[in-house]
Order: sequence, then C-alpha cells, then structure tokens
Amino acid sequence: MSKDKRLNVLLIDDEPERVEALTEALHKLGHNVVCHLPNTSDLNKHVEESLPDIVIIDMDSPNRDTLESMATMSRNNPRPIVFFAEKQNDHKTMSDAINAGVSAYIADGLQPERVTAIIDTAIAHFDAHSSLKAELDKARNQLADRKIIEKAKGMLMKHQGCDEEQAYQTLRKIAMDRHQSLPVVAQNVIEALKGLTGMGK
Amino acid sequence: MSDHLALEKTDLKLGFIALIDCAPLVVAREKGFFSKYGLNVILCKESSWASIRDKVSFGLLDGAHMLAPMPLAATLGLNGNKTPMLTALTLSHNGTAITLSQELYLELVDQITDWNNQEAVGNTFKELIQNRERKPVIATVYPYSNHHYQLRYWLNQHNINTEEDVQLVAVPPTQMLENLANGLIDGYCVGEPWNSLALMQQTGGLLTTGHKIWGSHMEKVMGVTQKWADENPNTHRALVTALYEACKWAEDATNRTELMELLALPPYLDHAAKQLATFNPPYSMEQHFYNENLNMPDRDHGLFLLDQMNDCGQLSGIMVDKDQLVEDVFRCDLYKGWIG
Repeated sequence: MSKDKRLNVLLIDDEPERVEALTEALHKLGHNVVCHLPNTSDLNKHVEESLPDIVIIDMDSPNRDTLESMATMSRNNPRPIVFFAEKQNDHKTMSDAINAGVSAYIADGLQPERVTAIIDTAIAHFDAHSSLKAELDKARNQLADRKIIEKAKGMLMKHQGCDEEQAYQTLRKIAMDRHQSLPVVAQNVIEALKGLTGMGK
Repeated sequence: MSDHLALEKTDLKLGFIALIDCAPLVVAREKGFFSKYGLNVILCKESSWASIRDKVSFGLLDGAHMLAPMPLAATLGLNGNKTPMLTALTLSHNGTAITLSQELYLELVDQITDWNNQEAVGNTFKELIQNRERKPVIATVYPYSNHHYQLRYWLNQHNINTEEDVQLVAVPPTQMLENLANGLIDGYCVGEPWNSLALMQQTGGLLTTGHKIWGSHMEKVMGVTQKWADENPNTHRALVTALYEACKWAEDATNRTELMELLALPPYLDHAAKQLATFNPPYSMEQHFYNENLNMPDRDHGLFLLDQMNDCGQLSGIMVDKDQLVEDVFRCDLYKGWIG
C-alpha cells in the first residue's frame, strides 16, 4: 500500500485482547496504530501529540465527551477531530457501530470513505469480542464469585425490572466507576439493596 | 386506569448520567410515578452524553436525561447524526458552578471580601492568573452544555481571553476531582455533585455558580426524538406527566433525606450521593426541580443558547432559522396541553 493511504489510528480501549486483535487486523490493512490507551486522564495531550487520522473508542468510554469537546475547546488545533457520523450520514454503518459498541472520530477534512474499511474492521472485532468475552467470563469466574454475581444480578433485575444483560451491564458500569472487581461490586450491591422492602431474600 | 389502553408503548428504556439532576427519573421509578401512569421503565446509566445522543438517535433508548442544548445540537446535526429531537419537559434549573483548585481559591480568598460582587471577583481573578507562570487549565465536560457556555460567558464578561489567558480542556466528570487534586487542572465548571464533593474533600473552592452568572435557567430536559414523539404521543404524555409529578416530589424539602438515599443506590449515583446527604455548600447553587414556571421548556433560554453556540463557533457555516428551531425543539405546546 502506498504511503499516502496509510492512516494513523489511535485506539482507546481497556480490553487488552481486543486491542491486540484489532491492532493486528489494522496492520494487515496497511495502517499504523500510533497509540493505544486505556481510559486516560490526559487524553487531550495524547491526541495533540499523536495527531491521529482516526480514533477508535469503546462507545461506553467516558472519554468520548472529551474527544467531542476538543474541536470546540482549542480552535487553534490544526487538525480537530470530529465524530464520524457528522461527516458520513451512512445510517447502516452508524447503526452497526452503535450495536457493536464502537465509536469513531476522524480528523476534520479527511474523506470519510478512506476510513470505512477501518470502521468495518473495528465493528467486526468488537462484535467477535463480545461473544468471546461472554464465554470467557463464564469459564473464568470462580464458582463462589459467580454465585455472588448471580445473586446481585437477580436482585438488580428484581429492583430495576430489567433483564439479565442489563443487570450485568449495571454491575460492570459500577465496577468501572469504582475501579473495583465484579465480585466486590456484586457484594456491595447485595448489601445496598438488601435493606429495601421485599428485597431481603 | 382506562387511559393505559391508549399507550402505544409501556416498556421504556431511559438513559441518564449519574448527576444529582437525574433525580426526577429516579424518583419517578422508585416512588411509583411511572407505574401510576402505566409505564414500566428501565433506567440505563450511561457513561457519556455522546452515548446518550447516539443511543436515543438510533432507538436503543426511548429517551433520556439531557443537557438543555443537546436536542438543539442533535436537530442541527452538530457532532453527530442529524436527528430531530425535542423536549416537552424541563427536569431542573441550575446546579452548575465553577470550582477552583484549593491553591488558586486560597489565593483569591485573601483578596476578596464580597463574593457576591461578581465584577470584583472577576477582576481579582484576572489579575491573579496573569501574574502566574502558566495559564490556568480549566475543564468542562461536554461542548453542548450550559456549563461550557457559562464558563466562556463568565470569562468573556471579565475580559479574560478564552484562548490567551486560560487553557480550556475537557475531562470526564468522574476524573475531575482527581485531576484537580493532582494539579493537572486548576478548575472546572460542572454540575452537581462534583462541586460540592470538591468542597467537602477540600480539594477546591467555589469561584461562582451558574445561577449567579445567568440567573435561574433551564438545565436538564427530558429529550426524545421527533420520530419517537410522533409515534408515541400517549406514551410521551404519560412519561412527561409522571416525571412532572416526580419533579414536584423531588423539590419538596421534606423528601430531601429520602431523595439522597434513593440517589445513593448503586444503580444511580452510588457512593457520591451518600457523602452529600448531610452537606450544605457555603452558598446555594439553586438547583431546583419544580416551581410553578420551571418545568415548561423555556424558548427564551433556547434562543439564548443558540447565541452562545454561535459565539463559540459551533454554528459556523450553518443556516439556522432560530425561532423556528426553538419552537420545534422546546415544545411548550405539548407541555401546556398535558400539564396545563
């Protein structure tokens, strides 16, 4: 691939297996992964320094609002990045991306067509990872941990009137907010909800 | 109730961000206002406003707790898929503030005797930052928000240049306190509980509040897409009515303790709300959920927001019929028909 087609990709994702697989796939497409970051406290600096053509980020990362602010925040920025959807009103791609849980930001001025293959690849890897992750989680959790998680899920489902997947997502989000493990969060949730009417057993 | 028969949809998913002003949604669910109107609602905790916008746009959520400028930005297609959105209910007024790092704050405290004299506060702040070695770094969360426009407004008001005199950055709310404590940022403008938490932990002090900058103003709204509103008029009415009653409940001072207990449940604000239950800030941020005129979408504030968007370059190159846009987005007509 000629050099001018090679794009610089910044990955923001805290799932190491997914990062590894996606990086390899992007290299095969002839692109350059300039930087990989888990959730970071100094994203502004990283974006300024690595000047990505495209940023691929977990849709549920709190850093998305930071990325979206950059264009307005520093008007001196020579290459502001913008949300992919603003430039490309391709409803199908957007819908696939949202359902896979992946978001993309591109350097303003870059032709959206140039990143389509990258976004499709990211969607495929995020999709594959969700199914793999579900299997791994099942296999990995120790029996005792699993029991606590199951109980917390059950109480959340009852309390929130939600389904199992939703309850699991709630536990995961709390774990991310608190930087705690899932079993620890599950135990706390059980304690917190136990006091409420009808949630005792 | 026989009215339930007319609901187009009874199972709803609504998004929220873990802030104090998601209270009406939590109250409507926990105190039974949704079920009173035949609605079975799941509240989904979201990690960013961007995620709320995308999930509402693409129907993964029926509606959400939104910053007042968000339905405008979505309708215009700013930083996202162009999706007409609207609101028929204001959920809250005020609740934002500018917090400074303890270091900057203490330097100001020495020089300021009357914090209500905004001009003196502004001038002193300007003098202070111009004598420092590096520009202060001030953070906000999201570009289409009152807090972002308020910060710029206040700086401009005191002739502090937003490019030359300060550095504006964005940081997720959950990282604000940590970044303020470790000196990565020198201040921020955000909504509650993040100002009160900084005060409680003595990592920061209040420079001013959104209420002092603008007077009482619409802060969060119940946002849905135009398409969803067209397809589900009766459900929309039930949703707005239930939330309106929840707003009244949340505003009632006698419910304050119970409200903070509800918000402290793990699916909502979790630990953050627990700490706030007994805290009173030195002066009020005037966060309110209800009064006679508060809950009707405010078109004047909508027009004012469009001016703020324009001033910071967000509307460049876009033709906007401001009056029409505000009329389409802030649906006072629906509010009046449903609430009176």
